[in-house]
Parts: sequence; C-alpha cells; structure tokens
Amino acid sequence: MIRIKCPICGLRNETEFTYGEDANVNRPSMDEQGVQPWVDFVFNRDNPRGWHKEYWHHVQGCRQWVVLERNTLTHEIGNCELARDAKLPPSQASEAAE
Amino acid sequence: MPEPLSPLTNKTVAGHFGAGDAHGVTLGTRRVSSLWQIAGWGDFEAVAKPVLTSLGLSGLGCFRHAQQLGAVTVWRIAPDKILLEGVRDLAAAASEELMVLDLGHTRTAITVEGSASRDLLAQVIAIDTAPAAFGPGEFLQTGIHHVGVLIHCTGPDRFDILVPCTWAETIWEVLFDNALPHGLTIEEAA
Repeated sequence: MIRIKCPICGLRNETEFTYGEDANVNRPSMDEQGVQPWVDFVFNRDNPRGWHKEYWHHVQGCRQWVVLERNTLTHEIGNCELARDAKLPPSQASEAAE
Repeated sequence: MPEPLSPLTNKTVAGHFGAGDAHGVTLGTRRVSSLWQIAGWGDFEAVAKPVLTSLGLSGLGCFRHAQQLGAVTVWRIAPDKILLEGVRDLAAAASEELMVLDLGHTRTAITVEGSASRDLLAQVIAIDTAPAAFGPGEFLQTGIHHVGVLIHCTGPDRFDILVPCTWAETIWEVLFDNALPHGLTIEEAA
C-alpha cells in the first residue's frame, strides 16, 4: 500500500487517489507541424527505473490534482505538491504564462 | 413549498440492534439546511472574502478546522472551494470570478455518537480517529465504501458525516453493519 501525503488533506492511503498520467510529458508547441513530436506526445512514454513524476487525483479527498514523485523500483514516495504549484515542463510553462 | 425528504427515511427505524445490552454507537440523521458551495479561480481569496465577511467570518479558514459561527458552519474543502451550511441564499453573490452552487439537495447528514463512535469510524476509514488526531472542530474528507464523504467531529465522541444523497443508503448500511458489535441504537429520523 502506498501512502501519499496530500498537501491539503495530509497522509492518506493510495486507495483515495486515482493515477492520472506521466507528469514529465512535454506537449509540443501548438504550431508544431512535424508528425513525430505529436506521436511521441500522444503515444510514446519512457519506462524509467527509479524516480518518476506522476499526476494523481485525490478523488476521495480534496479532489485536487497533485504531482507525486514515486520510485518505480521501490514504490518509495517522495515529494507531493499541488499540480497548480508544480514546475511544468518548458512548453506547458510558457503556454501557461501567455 | 415541497418539503425535502431524507433518503434515509425508511432506514432510520428506531431501536436497539446488535451486541447485548451494549450501547456503544448511536446512529441518526439530521436535516442539512441551506448547504452552499463557493468556488473560484485565480485570486479566490479576494472574491470569497466579501461573502465570508458578510457572514461575520474573518477569513477563508484552513483545510483541517471548520469555522463555526452560530448556526453557520464553514469547511474549506480545497484551496479554491468552500462549503457553507446554515447560511442565507448566496445566489446573489455569484459572479464571473465566483461560482456559487446550492448543494442543499445533494447531501445527507448521518450523525454518529457514542463511546465506540471512534472505533466504528476506524473500521470504515483508513485514518487515525483517536481524539488526539481528530478532535472536536476538525474535519476531513475521505472515502467510506469508496464514496467521498466529509466527516466533521462535532464533539468528543460525536461526528456528522455529509454523504451524497444518492449513496446515503449504502453508507448507512455500511455504518449499521459495522456498528452492530458495539451495540447500536438508532434514533428517530430528524
């Protein structure tokens, strides 16, 4: 059982959360014309061994999206922060700033 | 004006159930009066504060302690979301920056009381329910039987559980079954 320290609700069981997706995915610029960047964005994912950032949804708690650091090798849980406060990949960060 | 009926009207059959003469848990319901949610984006504090100030409250509150002012109870359930019970009609406070929702018809309140009430909660949620960890005035949002609920500790061994009306019977049955070993008393429907 994974226990996740929600920034709003505190330490909770994994069963209160729903996994969202890989938080490292970098969406191409909207004017990107190449096919491969979009194929990578939609279909291709790394399968890292070790620490990984993921989106999780605290669906049975505060209903906030969080970015969680999880070790895919040991299931160890690292930092957990609200997705709204998390550092976004470069392209999404620049888009959010516009 | 139609009078709303509790979805637990047929469940709250007064009596004593379960273990012998023990009276560890008392289950009941209470009417949820004027439950509103305000939510926003961006600078939520700036748009929510006038509403809260008009109710006599000083701030947004925290995610752990409910604010209580007379008949008004306020739970800050997320950074940009607050639940208020016992307040006037807030529809007029709605704006492009502040979403106001009347949730009075969406929640049922189940009351849990008694010397074994904390033991009962510990059976159905994976959170420390000891008095030192969950004291009067505190609240938490969690799942019972995978249904999202808000549990408010309203006294040393007394709790209000706000549950979605559509799941009220299920949650009631879960609490009922788990309370039987403690000796269960059902109160008359509120």
